[in-house]
Amino acid sequence: MKTQLVWRADVIFNMVFTITRIIFAYLLWEMVFQQKEMVGEFTFHGMMSYYIISSFLSQLEMSEGIGIEIHERIRNGTFSKYLVIPVGVEKYFMAMELGIVLFYVVFDFIAAMVWVFIFRIQFVFTADNGVIVCAVVMAVLGMVFMVQLNYFLGLLTLKYQGIGTFLMIKNNLMALITGTIIPLALFPEGIVKMMRLLPFYYVTYLPAMLLSGKCGEEAWMGLMAIGCWCLAMQFIIHGTWKKYLRKYDGVGI
Amino acid sequence: MNKKNMRVLRELFYLRMHGLMVFRLDFLAPFFVDGSLFVIQLLAFGVVYGHVDAIGSWGRGEMILYIGTFSLLNAINMTIYFFGVNSIPYKVRSGELDLYLSKPVSPLFRLTFENISPGSVPLILMSLCIVAYGVSTLRMPLTLPVVISYGFWVLVMIVLYYELEVVIRSVSLYMVSMARLEQIEEAGLELCMKLPGIAFYGVYKVIFYLILPYGIMATLPVQSMIGEMNLQTAAFGIGVVALFSAVTAVLWTQGLKHYNSASS
Repeated sequence: MKTQLVWRADVIFNMVFTITRIIFAYLLWEMVFQQKEMVGEFTFHGMMSYYIISSFLSQLEMSEGIGIEIHERIRNGTFSKYLVIPVGVEKYFMAMELGIVLFYVVFDFIAAMVWVFIFRIQFVFTADNGVIVCAVVMAVLGMVFMVQLNYFLGLLTLKYQGIGTFLMIKNNLMALITGTIIPLALFPEGIVKMMRLLPFYYVTYLPAMLLSGKCGEEAWMGLMAIGCWCLAMQFIIHGTWKKYLRKYDGVGI
Repeated sequence: MNKKNMRVLRELFYLRMHGLMVFRLDFLAPFFVDGSLFVIQLLAFGVVYGHVDAIGSWGRGEMILYIGTFSLLNAINMTIYFFGVNSIPYKVRSGELDLYLSKPVSPLFRLTFENISPGSVPLILMSLCIVAYGVSTLRMPLTLPVVISYGFWVLVMIVLYYELEVVIRSVSLYMVSMARLEQIEEAGLELCMKLPGIAFYGVYKVIFYLILPYGIMATLPVQSMIGEMNLQTAAFGIGVVALFSAVTAVLWTQGLKHYNSASS
């Protein structure tokens, strides 16, 4: 939290740049909805509500830097810093992510409200308290999963040395499979079924759908699915850490 | 380009190839990273066109052509000048620009061509394949005038892309930090990569056609190919490029006068 307060301009720009996703959605879907009233199960305002919530959640997900930091520190030998501090390395990154998210959540919420007002969106939001709780818990677990994933990918540097390219490709892919470019509900049914087996479906897409009043029947199953993925990822991290840490020589690659 | 510059260009190419061969795994990185980006664009719009026949006046074929053209511009940018131009702010901050000013060759020329990326060449080929796919989806007859017109506008927009990159990075000669400008560039590019210029109107059109003209970069070549371009649009496109050529020249030359070595 303290670190975030030092970079005040970053906070403002982080808020302002959420607008590019909203402009993209607004201009694209405005043209599409001129031809028909419903696309999939979305009305224009339902679609915009989805993008506002999805953009808010994806903006909060800032764990990408964890993988990059671990990758760079292993490569230049400064990862030793994390090995000598009296706290688990993964817990350290979890706490760091929590500090960032708690700081940005207020600002990103304000930004989302401003965009609703500027673009005159008739905001669609679920009235079911149970679904809201499920969606919030799911979004939190989704962020935990993303921290785990990025931490795991960073650790792979111990084995593969150069994973920078892979991390960039992963970022490109994430935009599609988390439904931040196009809602996954518009994909063919077979692909959506496959996506449900992957954890990314539950990171921003399903929480955003639940909060905009859709897919209510998937709430509990979704919660269990992302919970299981978090547990599975923890086992994978544990195994990777034990197997590859011995390869770290502390002098850089 | 005179004979001396050609010799410099050849030497820069050899030096760059030598550097790239040291880190062979990174050689094709731009291809995989940017290639995946445009494949994802194709998939996303494929999904949208599964629900509607047209977005504005553009059908599936026009949109594929648009994505292919943006990919082509990006690929040429990555192959020839991106990595060189992108290093300008760092070289200004570190004072490394001194080395460029003391050499008997234009600093901007050397900066532009010293970091070419042959690993991005497959990206050009992939982009051409996407363009060909767009043309076949449109089932349009590909005549020589159409190809020449498209090629002409791609070349003009490559110049515009280059100028926009230099303009933004020239600001580092005047200011200590220009990270925000790079963020604006990234946001503008990300938006216009996904959204063709025909979607913009009102204030969006002023911003993305004139102030940050990323909106016209792939739109005009596509419009020239599909016969949507009129004289007014063509004159506007040329006018914007001429305007940015002047701005680039002034910002860069005046910026060099502001440059005061390592402490700038």
